[in-house]
Amino acid sequence: MAKYTVKRLLQSVLTVLIIVTVVFLLLRMLPTDYYFTEEELIKLSEEEKQDRLMAAGLTDPILVQLGRFYGELVRLDLGTSSRVQAGLEVTEIMTSRFAVSMKMGLISMGVSLVIGIAMGIIQTLHKDKFFDHLGTVYIIFVNAVPALVSYSLILVFGTRIFKLPSLYSTNDVARTSVLPIVCLSIGSIAYYALWTRRYMVDELNKDYIRLARIKGMSSKDIMVKHVLKNAFVPLIAYVPASLLLTIGGSLLVERFFSIPGMGPLLTDAIGRYDASVVQGCVIVYAGLGIIGVFLGDIMMMIFDPRIKLTGRGETR
Amino acid sequence: MDRELLLSAKDIEIEFTLRGKVLKAIRKCSLDVYEGETIAIVGESGSGKSVFTKSFLGMLDANGSITGGSITYGGVDISKYKTEKEWMGIRGRKISMVMQDPMTSLNPLKKIGKQIQESIEINQGIKGEEARKKAIEMMEMVGITDAERRANQYPHEFSGGMRQRVVIAIATACHPQILICDEPTTALDVTIQAQILELIRNLQKELNMTVIYITHDLGVVANVADRVAVMYAGQIVEYGTVEEIFYDAWHPYTWALLSSLPQLGVKGEELPTIEGTPPNLFNEVKGDAFAPRNKRALEIDFEKEPPLFEITESHKVKSWYLDPRAPKIEQPEIIQKLRRTK
Repeated sequence: MAKYTVKRLLQSVLTVLIIVTVVFLLLRMLPTDYYFTEEELIKLSEEEKQDRLMAAGLTDPILVQLGRFYGELVRLDLGTSSRVQAGLEVTEIMTSRFAVSMKMGLISMGVSLVIGIAMGIIQTLHKDKFFDHLGTVYIIFVNAVPALVSYSLILVFGTRIFKLPSLYSTNDVARTSVLPIVCLSIGSIAYYALWTRRYMVDELNKDYIRLARIKGMSSKDIMVKHVLKNAFVPLIAYVPASLLLTIGGSLLVERFFSIPGMGPLLTDAIGRYDASVVQGCVIVYAGLGIIGVFLGDIMMMIFDPRIKLTGRGETR
Repeated sequence: MDRELLLSAKDIEIEFTLRGKVLKAIRKCSLDVYEGETIAIVGESGSGKSVFTKSFLGMLDANGSITGGSITYGGVDISKYKTEKEWMGIRGRKISMVMQDPMTSLNPLKKIGKQIQESIEINQGIKGEEARKKAIEMMEMVGITDAERRANQYPHEFSGGMRQRVVIAIATACHPQILICDEPTTALDVTIQAQILELIRNLQKELNMTVIYITHDLGVVANVADRVAVMYAGQIVEYGTVEEIFYDAWHPYTWALLSSLPQLGVKGEELPTIEGTPPNLFNEVKGDAFAPRNKRALEIDFEKEPPLFEITESHKVKSWYLDPRAPKIEQPEIIQKLRRTK
């Protein structure tokens, strides 16, 4: 087990490293204009610009730059923003935005896990009856209707009926967070409900459930002791990944409610050619994604005894 | 037969609803099960062997139900049981079952010992450490060596034969009176088959169980059974002691089954097969269900369902051949040959 963990960990680190390097190299292919603010571009003369670049080490051979970049990365120095929030440290920009996204992400994740899984269980218990169909209608609706349309509906109903504010504000975080959290959750509720139901129905149709009935177990015990636990195993692999992606913020929702989170930062930075911020964002997202998958694998290993013993560890 | 009658199924009818259509899977089947005996039910796939015996446990699929007849067990008609609670009094502790495929019969994520323990905890009212000890005892009883250690392993660490032993341990953990073995050796290889049959036989003696085998392997039948019931198209067409079925069968379907036994084939000659297919049970079956496949069928076979004729007290056959008005029919050569080699 330890061997497998270490191996997966090394693989993950290597993956992050490759992504980071590729992003760095790609961004270095951009014209150097983008290292200046719009204002500087107009005001500074060519020589001054050249001097500034030289001083920043951007005229050095690419491998030297790469080496220096790794060094900074180890010290968690991601450079300074030149456009999005000119002059500010990228880490600083990201930390404050990350805090907002994370808080909302965590709450919505908790909400959707509880509601989604409960919904999946209820659907399974009422399979092919009214509640099951109702849940399916919800799942299809959420998946088929474009997110913006459902968000608009939530906005309309939320503001009209519940008199909730439509824009996020740091003065009234609690009340203004409700609608964004609802928006963040509707999709993942559908996701968890769908997969919980699917895996539970899968398990219910297996032979060992029949043997459990033959030995005189009640349906309730079978559900709790066999079906639920076994259905969670495949589900559990996705939880860390989606958790980390949720706390990474949602572009759409954060735009929609003007939330100063991580979501809009990357598109902002790309739109305005802010190389350091793009780089910082990509590193964070890649890192989150890969840690998520890694944790998912570890969870699987803890909960599924068949994986522990495969030694070479690549059966799934 | 002076043994005690345990279970008596009378004129059982079972129907399944499939996409709005009704399938009559079992058409008036009767079977008496006596204490300590071994019954084998044989017949081809789809003849209703499994469905018939599953109804003793209330284990029919959700779209199936008993629509007629009665199953008397312990003085109660259990075919009228509706709730799970009623059935839980029967399942495991009175009647139990071993299924065909041991590879899928166990929960892959639960320790073997725990799965046996569960069965003991439900039915014997003991919990925890004590139940665990009993589970390990049970594992030893079904021939698993090093049971203490193996109880902590998961199903994927067991071979097919070993898993079937575990399944048998689970099914018999509460010493049921009747154990139904639904093709217990079909998924195993031949050397293991013999061991499993031996195990079931030993357990049967030790726990004083009645065993009902469901199989299409007549070799198994000859080896283990006291009595044989031959099923065709949802009916028991002939039943009798092993001797009566193997040496003095009278139903044309039993003849056909016996003739197609590879062990009885003559070298160089083609092995006889039963031509045609069983009737579609969505439709009403007219006359003798086997008549369309029977080359020597009588006219009446196509028109009227034959009653059960009694040859001896233990041997009954559902065929017009035994009617006194029927033309004289000889048993096919293979049956006569079998009798000569007796």
